Amino acid sequence: MAHVITPLDQPSNYKDSQARVDRKKQNDLLSKSTTLYIGNLSFYTTEEQIYELFSKCASPEDGGGIKRIIMGLDRNSRTPCGFCFVEYYTNAEALACMRYVSGTKLDERIIRCDLDLGYSEGRQFGRGKSGGQVRDEHRQDYDPGRGGWGAQAQRLELERRREVEERYADAQDGPGAVAGGGGDWKEADTSDSRLKRGRSPEDEDENIRGGQRSRLDEDGDGERM
Amino acid sequence: MSYDRPHRGGGYRRRYRDDYDDRRRESYESPLDKFKATIIKFGDVDALEELPRLEKFIRDATNHPVSVVSESLRIAVTEQPFKIPYYALLLRHLHNPSDNGPSEDPTIGQQILEDFWKGFQSYLDQHSWRETRLCIQFFAHLTVAKLISTDSMLTLLQSFTAVLEEFGVSLGRAKQAAVCAAEGLMIGGPILKVDSPIQVQEIISAIQAYNDTTASAKWIVGPLNRVYTDSTQFPLADEQLDIVLHALRVFDEADFAETSSVFLQPYSTCEDLDPLTFTPFNLPSVLVPPEVIELDSLSTDAGEDTQIKKEEWPEYYISLFDNEVTPDPKTPAGYAVRSGLADILQIFEVNRKDCARLLLDFPRWVPPGTFKPKPSLDANPLPAPEPVPGKDWQLESTIVEIILGMLFLLPESQHKSVYYMSLITELCKLSPSTGGPAVGKSFRKLYSQLGEGFDVEIAKRFSEWFSVHMSNFNFGWVWKEWIPDLSLTVYHPKRAFIQRAIELEIRLSYHDRILKTLPPEMQAPDSETISENAPGPDFDYDDPAKPHHDVAQTILNLFRGRAKAEDVVSRIEGLKAALETSDEVVNTDALIRSITVQSLLHVGARSFSHLLNAIERYLPLLRNIASGGTSIAVGTGITEAKADILSIAATFWKNNRHMVVIVFDKLMQYQIVDPTDVVQWVFVRRAELPELNSATGINSLRTFEWEIIKAALDKANGRVTTARRRVVALRKEDDDIRARALADGVAMDVDADIKTEEAPAAENPALTTALKAFASLTREQKAALSKTLDGFVSYLTPASSEAQRRAITEEGWNDRGRWDKEEWNTWETWNWYRHFCRLYAPYLRSYSTTLQTVSFAKLEGSTDPSVELLKKTWNVATGQE
Repeated sequence: MAHVITPLDQPSNYKDSQARVDRKKQNDLLSKSTTLYIGNLSFYTTEEQIYELFSKCASPEDGGGIKRIIMGLDRNSRTPCGFCFVEYYTNAEALACMRYVSGTKLDERIIRCDLDLGYSEGRQFGRGKSGGQVRDEHRQDYDPGRGGWGAQAQRLELERRREVEERYADAQDGPGAVAGGGGDWKEADTSDSRLKRGRSPEDEDENIRGGQRSRLDEDGDGERM
Repeated sequence: MSYDRPHRGGGYRRRYRDDYDDRRRESYESPLDKFKATIIKFGDVDALEELPRLEKFIRDATNHPVSVVSESLRIAVTEQPFKIPYYALLLRHLHNPSDNGPSEDPTIGQQILEDFWKGFQSYLDQHSWRETRLCIQFFAHLTVAKLISTDSMLTLLQSFTAVLEEFGVSLGRAKQAAVCAAEGLMIGGPILKVDSPIQVQEIISAIQAYNDTTASAKWIVGPLNRVYTDSTQFPLADEQLDIVLHALRVFDEADFAETSSVFLQPYSTCEDLDPLTFTPFNLPSVLVPPEVIELDSLSTDAGEDTQIKKEEWPEYYISLFDNEVTPDPKTPAGYAVRSGLADILQIFEVNRKDCARLLLDFPRWVPPGTFKPKPSLDANPLPAPEPVPGKDWQLESTIVEIILGMLFLLPESQHKSVYYMSLITELCKLSPSTGGPAVGKSFRKLYSQLGEGFDVEIAKRFSEWFSVHMSNFNFGWVWKEWIPDLSLTVYHPKRAFIQRAIELEIRLSYHDRILKTLPPEMQAPDSETISENAPGPDFDYDDPAKPHHDVAQTILNLFRGRAKAEDVVSRIEGLKAALETSDEVVNTDALIRSITVQSLLHVGARSFSHLLNAIERYLPLLRNIASGGTSIAVGTGITEAKADILSIAATFWKNNRHMVVIVFDKLMQYQIVDPTDVVQWVFVRRAELPELNSATGINSLRTFEWEIIKAALDKANGRVTTARRRVVALRKEDDDIRARALADGVAMDVDADIKTEEAPAAENPALTTALKAFASLTREQKAALSKTLDGFVSYLTPASSEAQRRAITEEGWNDRGRWDKEEWNTWETWNWYRHFCRLYAPYLRSYSTTLQTVSFAKLEGSTDPSVELLKKTWNVATGQE
């Protein structure tokens, strides 16, 4: 159904400017993407608010669901800087968000969704000069204290700001800093209690992420042309 | 309306910049694309004015074959059904003999129609029902325009009613076929009935006869839960086939005189074609192809089929407004408007913004006077068309009512409910002055029906829509008008709605933000409307005065210091040994579980990612706890310990149900607990904990508990779906390899025989693993469904108190003004049982024999009304009644 109008779930010209794969390969990856870049968030928006809205596009009965949310952080201050990645288990869920959620409000701001190549290490940090997103540095309407309702409320402003500022103070980088969210179902392990490597013994994402790293090289937050 | 760049997608976005606006993609538009676009855009400005130009354009386009014209026409008809009458007019004009030179034979119009038919045939073969139906509408118009012979049209319609008489025809197929025939008749009726009143009667009777067989299915998907009666008539709602039949009869009684006033017939003024040179097209006869049967079926260990076919149910659509405000769908005009708008809603699901625009543009495509004119901003507006008596409806209210009808379809809406919610948001953005009030009136009307029997699933979706809508419009609801309802018991559906709507608003916003939108009466803690404080975690060991504070601090510090999971495990064993020597602690296992799991949740309480990090880092520890301290491997959990983990998490987050849902989901995802554990926990363990059962009592569940059960069942079903896909993919891969090996073998020729013999024997190890996983997961799925059924049986039968009996009798229902906690909760539990049966019917049917044998054994011989209702519901859902 696309002769008369353009569906909203077509990939846009959002791209990861540091991805080192050619356009065709990128399109290929995007057509199977399970990850969304979410932009124009308030700096105060929480992952739980994001979870609530984006779970409306989840299809657990089809093997889907929200795999993880990766909050975009200012590289220097480790505070949210207005973007995040939402990763599902299936491509159909990501497309549903493009159709139904992108362009609607969350925390009283109109958010924007874009299909993304997939999270890879380091991309949770802004890579603008200031530590935030590059795209915000280009924006005319950029408001540094960008808030939804969270920024406007006077009474709790300070407290909330402190809470937000501290929430990700422990954010780490390097391999394994960001949780995978849980992979495919595994058969019960009857061979019993081998002590496995420290972190995330079943995390086959390691391989996927490793694979992606080699393909995409290091990259930071998504940007638009 | 203009689709100014139909293949580039720029048109709309340029005009409505509400988010970033750089999605236009430049692409080359070939002359062929342009040619098609010209035909598809016909009527965007003014069809009658454009007609001569377009006709000439097509006649002159000798460089494009007729097939391109007919393909464009097919796209136009199936994607812009509102323009069908004008395309019929266009085709009628193209049937006129050409001006220049001797008349071609056949005319270009005839050639196009003949080619168009081929496309129709392929829609039919692919079971593309909507496209098929819209083509039939087109054919019906063409029949009235005398381009198609009446007897071939009647034969076509009758090949659809023939489907209704097939043995064992599925409801979905029958419904589609019936509507195809009915709509063809509504449009073509004036001419068809003149020609053959008998065939017209046959078509109507066939639909009627089929509709009479659907009563029990209707009972279980009715929008009102009146468990005590078999009636399938509900106030405020009509079933699709009932609607179709009713409207069709009214058409028929007046010999289809109304057709010309409800459908546009721009071709009606055309002169008849010369009967000496023109013969109307005879539609070739068709057979509606039988349903597709999936061949790659996979069975469980016990041989049950696991292929899930979405069950098809009768469709009840809610009508919220009076017939003066929005049309009654059972009348000819109402049917035409409703089906026209409903088609737009379905077709444009891929772009809700364009969809909203086209919906608001709909009055252009129906006879004048159907809708109230738009309030004009002009100081001297043009005179509005004379309102037509019995019409003159409000457009936005009509649209919202139809969208809500689709949103509230049971057991589930066709698209994700957020589609309908976002679409309403777009409507309100495009037309704030009329869209907003339509939404407000809908809220009030729906709210007024709560407590009058509205199905709880509809109430649940209503609260979800309410919160999403409010989130998009600044949470500006006039709560004070519902203050009088605070005098109702807090278990009344209206109170439950208010609580839930507020809870969902908070999830999307902030506690203090939402609190401020409420009037003081609702802010008061004793009104039980909103929690006093922001919904935070509840860590038992926070207070230094509490017992075991020190132990908890020790563990918490290990987590904070990111100690290795193995080290924490051994540390805990030490702590446990120490606790065992002290006399105060009765159950050290339980205590250690509580301290450890709470501490882990405490560390993970900062954000969803923190939770994931905490769980993932300490998976071996969680498995150790789940296994009662015996193992750190996957799948070694013991029931008792797993139930404990769930209780601890639910208690830790008892003030924040959203977090309970999230934590449970990830505990299942990481296989700390299985879906079966969660189901069992909700029905049994949770119900024993006063802290967690205060709202439900010991033998009922409400929306939140259902939400948890549903998440568990969906997880179990989703895993089977994934495993099934994997097996199918691997088998296909295997087959391909074998086919290639075979081909190679043949090519190599020499020792081909040996090779082809050997190839199949080598079983693919990945496939073996996948099959094993599939077997395990179907067992788990069956167990989860079985536990749910068991749970409902134990809650609902036998009705053990007067209050429980009142919840399912007519006398009890009529006295509901005096109902309190137990009655409303029992009633709600019945609702969720009913919903469980109809929603999971496709899965339940696969396992129905085993499940009912196990769960109903203890009910054998009982004539308790609750037992009978329970079995009836089950039998209807699983197709045994």
